[in-house]
Amino acid sequence: MVKRDIKTSISEDEVDNGLVNENGKRPNDAKNKEGKKRLKTKSLYRQPTVNELNRLQETENLFNSNLFRLQVEEILAEVKVKEKTEKKFNQWFTEFKTYLLTIPEDKNEYDLSEQTLPKKLKVKLPITNSLNKTKCVFKFHKFHDVNIVGSYALECSINSKLRIDLQIVTPADTYTKNDSINYRYHKKRAAYLAVISSHLMKTDLVEDLHYSWTNGNKTTPVLDLEPSGKLKNYFSIRLNLVCDQETFKLHRFSPLRNNLREAWLFSIENVESTEVGPPTPYYNSVVLNDLIALANQELLKEFLLKSENLKQAIILLKIWLRQRNLKVSGFVISLIVLYYVKTKRINNIMSSYQIVRNVWIALSKCYKWEKKGISLNKTDDSNIQEFHNHFPVVFLDCTGQHNLCWEMCIGTYDALRRESALAVEMLDNGKINSFIPLFMTPVKVFTQFDHVYRGLPRLLHSSTFALSFWGDKSELRRFQDGSITETVVWKGETLAERRTVTKQIIDYLMNLKFGHSGKWPGDIEAFRCLKAAFNLQIAERLNQQYSLPTQPYKTHIDVLKNGLTFRLKIAHPKELTLLRREIENGVVKYKESEESVRLQCDTILMPRLRGALHGLQTKYPAYGPTVCLLKRWLSSHLLSPPHFPQSVAELLAAAVFVHPAPSHPPALPSIGLVRVLNLLAHTDWNKEIIFLDFNEDMSREEITKLEQKFNSGDIPSPCLRIVTAYDDAMPSVWSMDAPSLQVLARVQTLARSALNYIEEGLLRDFKENVLGLFVPSLSGYDVVIHLQPSLVPYVGERVDKVPELRRLPERPAEDVIPVVEFHPILKYLEELRAAYSEFALFFHDFYGGEVIAVLWKPDFNELRDFQLLNANALKPITVEEEIKYKVNTEAIVEDFRVIGQGLVKEITVNT
Amino acid sequence: MKTYKRAHDFKALELKLNVDSRSPHTIYFTEHSVREHTSDRPSGKTLFIVNIPPYVDEQGLKNAFRGAGYVKSVQFCLKPAATEPMKRSFIQEIDSPAFRVAYLVFNKVVEVDKALKLTELLPLNNDKHETKVGLKKWIEDYNGSVVQAKTLKDNIETYMKQHDAEVKQKEKKEKQLEEEDEEGWVTVTRRGKVENFARTDKVSNRIMGKEQKALKEKLQLKNFYTFQIRESKMKHIVALRQKFEEDKKKIAQIKQSRRFKPF
Repeated sequence: MVKRDIKTSISEDEVDNGLVNENGKRPNDAKNKEGKKRLKTKSLYRQPTVNELNRLQETENLFNSNLFRLQVEEILAEVKVKEKTEKKFNQWFTEFKTYLLTIPEDKNEYDLSEQTLPKKLKVKLPITNSLNKTKCVFKFHKFHDVNIVGSYALECSINSKLRIDLQIVTPADTYTKNDSINYRYHKKRAAYLAVISSHLMKTDLVEDLHYSWTNGNKTTPVLDLEPSGKLKNYFSIRLNLVCDQETFKLHRFSPLRNNLREAWLFSIENVESTEVGPPTPYYNSVVLNDLIALANQELLKEFLLKSENLKQAIILLKIWLRQRNLKVSGFVISLIVLYYVKTKRINNIMSSYQIVRNVWIALSKCYKWEKKGISLNKTDDSNIQEFHNHFPVVFLDCTGQHNLCWEMCIGTYDALRRESALAVEMLDNGKINSFIPLFMTPVKVFTQFDHVYRGLPRLLHSSTFALSFWGDKSELRRFQDGSITETVVWKGETLAERRTVTKQIIDYLMNLKFGHSGKWPGDIEAFRCLKAAFNLQIAERLNQQYSLPTQPYKTHIDVLKNGLTFRLKIAHPKELTLLRREIENGVVKYKESEESVRLQCDTILMPRLRGALHGLQTKYPAYGPTVCLLKRWLSSHLLSPPHFPQSVAELLAAAVFVHPAPSHPPALPSIGLVRVLNLLAHTDWNKEIIFLDFNEDMSREEITKLEQKFNSGDIPSPCLRIVTAYDDAMPSVWSMDAPSLQVLARVQTLARSALNYIEEGLLRDFKENVLGLFVPSLSGYDVVIHLQPSLVPYVGERVDKVPELRRLPERPAEDVIPVVEFHPILKYLEELRAAYSEFALFFHDFYGGEVIAVLWKPDFNELRDFQLLNANALKPITVEEEIKYKVNTEAIVEDFRVIGQGLVKEITVNT
Repeated sequence: MKTYKRAHDFKALELKLNVDSRSPHTIYFTEHSVREHTSDRPSGKTLFIVNIPPYVDEQGLKNAFRGAGYVKSVQFCLKPAATEPMKRSFIQEIDSPAFRVAYLVFNKVVEVDKALKLTELLPLNNDKHETKVGLKKWIEDYNGSVVQAKTLKDNIETYMKQHDAEVKQKEKKEKQLEEEDEEGWVTVTRRGKVENFARTDKVSNRIMGKEQKALKEKLQLKNFYTFQIRESKMKHIVALRQKFEEDKKKIAQIKQSRRFKPF
């Protein structure tokens, strides 16, 4: 191999050297080199370099797959803070810091229960009026530095809505030792911030300055500001105040301690103030948050700054959290990562992928922070039980005195664990490109959860313990698995009954034992004739042996049993062979024709697919109803088959159950519908192919191969590609003819607006009823054909009708087969489409739609040439004394009336 | 009513369904002239019409040209073509409505000339004939589709009889071929005395493909020689490289559509 390789490279050189360019000169050296290089890098069989080998091997070991690795690299590059931004910030920050440090000292003391300070500063104090009764005296002590902290300082920030955290340490002198109680600390802190903001009001460096409260915590404001000018397009600033750890004794804020005296709280004057009330853990945590900030930041810096992979992992985790809207701050997630580093679960030698994966595994499985919390402080976790008595989730910081997860409610914690478990599941699923659902897809409440409950937080606010310790902590959502659902059981009785009846019929047929005849004729027409003979026989026997009314046809048999008519058809593989057969030069060849494909779908592929979908239905009871809803939705927008075939709808619905990432499979049909709409709306059908592998029948290689074939045009590629393991030689057979590109585009638009409608309805306007989703718009169509309502079948299934449970009649028909499958509208549509499909498209709602909407084809109104083969519906018109031809619109509209005689009520033409 | 003429002599007239039809289609017709006339479209007596609306039936068209004379026969075709011999088929499909062309055969040559000079066509419907359309047609179609078991049986028997006769005839013909002809040649057919296999591409493929494959597999020693081991290693690298290239392509695609902006 090596030898051969050398040889080939030598020969390449020879060729290169012998090259003479157009001018008869040898190409210059530089060009020559380039050429060689190109040749070398192009060849798949070149000798690998050490770097390349390393990379290829690394990918195999350290990353899920190449694709995953490349995607990780791309996303990291995308969210990385650009050098330009950094430069701009650094410049601005230097000026800003210089300015801030010029803040004047103020020797005056202010009583904060009065308005003297705000009046002097000409800014409001960022603290609620309910704290007016807190009395304290404030004196401004100048700070000495402004620091960059947070993710920007740790180099793991996300360059989307980039906000850089700045921090000022308030000098310990600002507070006295008793300021820990009754919100004095908070009040002084607010005053301090007001002084700074007043100073910042006077500079041009800053625009749009306002107070803000992290997580709705009304007692610890921060200052949000935007740099002036164009800079604000690059970043914004959050200025936070913290204090020296030495300011207060940490143990004063242990969760056991009370720092809100009852006397103060209930405004009882002159009562023994020695009375200490119950513990105030949340109040304590607010203060602790400021106290411990510096220590933890130091720790993070020490561990992370030089650990590239850890930083990358943190960025990935942050993206993942943000897509899920989980209320876990970057600070907390960084410290969680740090904790796992300290407990040796992860290290910087691991790849970012491995780190993230391990963090997820750890989060999903091992530790029950609600019962046995974790601590960054190894030496002292004796007091951890105290925290458990007061907080749902416990994660102690490096001082061991503060619960970093003090704000986290059990709901968020559960969500974190649940999502972590899901994430690991997605990573392990080789069939999907898990990167996209993990990091690129926003997970919305209404698509993720089966139930969305509302109104809880309002109740909490009205409680007498008025101060908003809780903010908006109480979660809006609750997850419930499928146990309690609102599923309407549609026609359950009849369905069940129908199933047993089918079985009975089949049993009857089996008893007939007409057996497998080897002597079917070799001519398709004769074959069909023989099938008809079988039909005749079966009908006769069923009638004689079981006294069932039957009606044989050439192609099928109708049988009446228990008031239901069954249609039986004989399927035999030979028919398919005969249809495909063609004789060429005496050799028999087999070719697919339109007819053979249809027969194959009906008799071979469909039963397999049915089996698989039935399996899916038993696994996920919401599947069937989801399909019903989807078909109804499509149909209500006049896209009944053939525009959007039933089987494509069924497969699309199956896709959200088979590939539920980034969520669980839906347990409610309504959510199922929302997910399908989501899939329809947000898939780039141009590029993506959906692979539905129900029973792990397709290998990854097969899938890759198919992808290649589709993309290279080796096999016909419909505009919506959805492949199952049962498609045989025709991948994506079910969507081969429809939907068309136009219909797909329309469905996507409709799905998008439907999703907006749902989101607005459910989350903003608090409407439960989203039936409006099913109301079509008739504007935009050229002609609308109104039908006689009395002749419209399935009127009872219209969306605006109250659903009724249809019961079987007491005494079902027994003697004569009633009229079945007589559907005048379908007949009408069939004729319209057969005769006028070159001019127009026809749309109808199968479920009781009373109109047929018509859309002229784009070239409908153009002038045409008269040609023998192309004279359909043309009428002569005179244009500038010349005879031209045009489609005779009026005549066609009249034709609609003619061939729909008796059914058409009225035709309106939109001009 | 206006009439229009075109360069190649098509006459255009409006074809009404009823007397009071307001927006009729325009049909175009001319004398049917081809190099070789068939007996069912005799030269001089046949009118060739294009753009016949979908619902028009034979009697209707006869009615329309009643002004020119008696129409002997009407043939509808989807496009202008020579008459095809009717293929015998067991299941006759109902023609779905479409714009068609028609060949109208008159009794006399004068009638064609007269037709070409018409200024107006009569409506398709008259007191005696009404074109079947809409609900009435569908009901009739449905009722027509339901046949008595007896009729179906007769149908089947007639067809099979005919079929069997045809098959027999074919066999006879083949048997004849089997016999030595004057020069001593024998044609080999399916039904000959010599055992043979079906001549299908599938069979030949199978024979050729399988044998070759089996041979190859048998002769191959895997990972035996050093060069083989090297080769398989190289193959592995090549596979990895290929995958890498493909993944890169995929990334490029995703990059294009989503640009890797997570938010």
